[in-house]
Amino acid sequence: MIGKAPRWVPIVVWAVSIIWIVPLIGIVVTSIRPPADTVLGWWNLNHIELTLHAWQTVWSKYPLANGFLVTAELAGLGTIGSMLLTPAAAYAFHFLRFPFRRTLLIIIVNAFVLPQQVVVIPLFTLWRQMGLIDNILSALIPYVGLSFAWSIFLVKNFLEDFPKEMIEAARIDGCGPVSTFFHVVLPNSLSSIFAVGILQFLFCWNSLLIPLLFLRTNVPLPVVFAQIAGTYDANWDMQSVAAIVTTIVPLVIFLVFQRQFAGGALTNSGSKE
Amino acid sequence: MTAISTTSPLAGGDRRKPAAARKWWTPDTPAAYLLLLPVLALFAFAVVYPLLQTIWLSFWDIRGLYPPKFVGIGNFVLLMNDPTFRNSLLTTLLWTCCTTLFSVGAGWAIALLCALAPKETLVPRVLIFAAFGVSEAVTGYIWLGIYRADAGGLLNAVLHGIGLGQFAHPWLGDTHTAIWGLIIAYSWAQTGLPLILIFAAAQAVPKNVLEAAYIDGADSRAIMRSIVAPLSLPGVRVALFINLLGSLRAFDTIYVLTGGGPVRSTETIGYFMYRESFTQFKLGYGAAATLVLLAAVLVISIPAIIQRTREAT
Repeated sequence: MIGKAPRWVPIVVWAVSIIWIVPLIGIVVTSIRPPADTVLGWWNLNHIELTLHAWQTVWSKYPLANGFLVTAELAGLGTIGSMLLTPAAAYAFHFLRFPFRRTLLIIIVNAFVLPQQVVVIPLFTLWRQMGLIDNILSALIPYVGLSFAWSIFLVKNFLEDFPKEMIEAARIDGCGPVSTFFHVVLPNSLSSIFAVGILQFLFCWNSLLIPLLFLRTNVPLPVVFAQIAGTYDANWDMQSVAAIVTTIVPLVIFLVFQRQFAGGALTNSGSKE
Repeated sequence: MTAISTTSPLAGGDRRKPAAARKWWTPDTPAAYLLLLPVLALFAFAVVYPLLQTIWLSFWDIRGLYPPKFVGIGNFVLLMNDPTFRNSLLTTLLWTCCTTLFSVGAGWAIALLCALAPKETLVPRVLIFAAFGVSEAVTGYIWLGIYRADAGGLLNAVLHGIGLGQFAHPWLGDTHTAIWGLIIAYSWAQTGLPLILIFAAAQAVPKNVLEAAYIDGADSRAIMRSIVAPLSLPGVRVALFINLLGSLRAFDTIYVLTGGGPVRSTETIGYFMYRESFTQFKLGYGAAATLVLLAAVLVISIPAIIQRTREAT
């Protein structure tokens, strides 16, 4: 911005952001104070004692460690699945000509508007018939299948700027469409594939409805946590630990890549100084 | 594989002619379908089949383990006569409009303020965005702590602290206030995305435009009002659409914060279908409700679908 910004601007923004900061701090503080001290609120200063008691005991009280492993496995596999399958499809849609190309593309990229609720009832009956309830595939298949709606669009948009000369050169040198993809396009579109990976990882990690319905014994963190938060135990300290464990990984990824979220929008508009 | 590589050199020449697209068979066809096969299979399995099956199921009366009975549009007639569903329609309307307006409105206002002083507001901006990165289920829990009716509830404590103790309330236990509690909690979490989108749009205003305005004597308030705010509108439009869709499909926060209660007063359609299908096991009825949700989603998405179709092909 040109000129000196008025002094009140940062002050107002800081004041407003308290609404977002205080609840987040509250969770952290609750997790490190004895529950007896926070009966009158996590902010009260009558008796200050910090303890990691909840952090040590929560693991035996709730299946958080197992939930963490299940979530990591689900999110990892779901992310790898999307990252492996999306680029080939985006390449085919963008550079190859074949029957039904347009129809298929329109159907897939517009499926992004579909809510998860639309697919869960039939999948539930299908998994039950196939005996796949509680199988990791019952969650992975919808994770990966639903991701194509936005991931193919994202990578295909990236390929808009891909130099056509490179494709033509590869073709003239005798590369077929498949080897052109593996040798020319794939190695040069890793940044967009990585972007797909981040978004898909966040989606899989935070997903609640699909694993809630399809998984029973080995459930991921959001499901474990939703069950914990639904109980009326007065152990706010342990529940807060569980909340932090559930959300810390996606939150850190978010904050690390938030520059890219904003930066991507900036570079696209060509307004660099 | 060999068949593909022998036919492919032919593909280079006429591949972009429009006539080639209309042919039933092109040299690219086998390669294209080979590359697409896993995606098409998974997409058909996880999206297309369930979508069509949801439509089909909505014509059946399915209760638990009883044999399904074909009822035609009976489920939809039942829905329209079900006061709980009619109430959930109203809840959905209120929920969707308010959460979108609050989150995009707050994000827009903060983004424009931040655009006046980008460097000094970096930290609060990131912190507001951080709330968007918190899992939705955890957002529900955070606000559970704020609305608590006992002495540990932050909201009531603040009201007492500023001398408005008479307004202290069991916010989530009252059918009139629970939905508003939920709306505030969800808007709180969703403000980060509009903030960052609109801030990026505001930052993308070309520097020479700002310089010209500055030389012509515009102060930062005039620049903000007449240049940055209007030029950030594309960001606002994108944010509005994303948050509208997000609110319609919201489930996690509702599930943790109120569970649809008290007395089903905070059930949106997206939650109603869960309740009917998976706690009452009325799958056909739930499917019919899901289609009403889908209809709402499609109406909102028409401009986006047109734009996306144009961009993608």
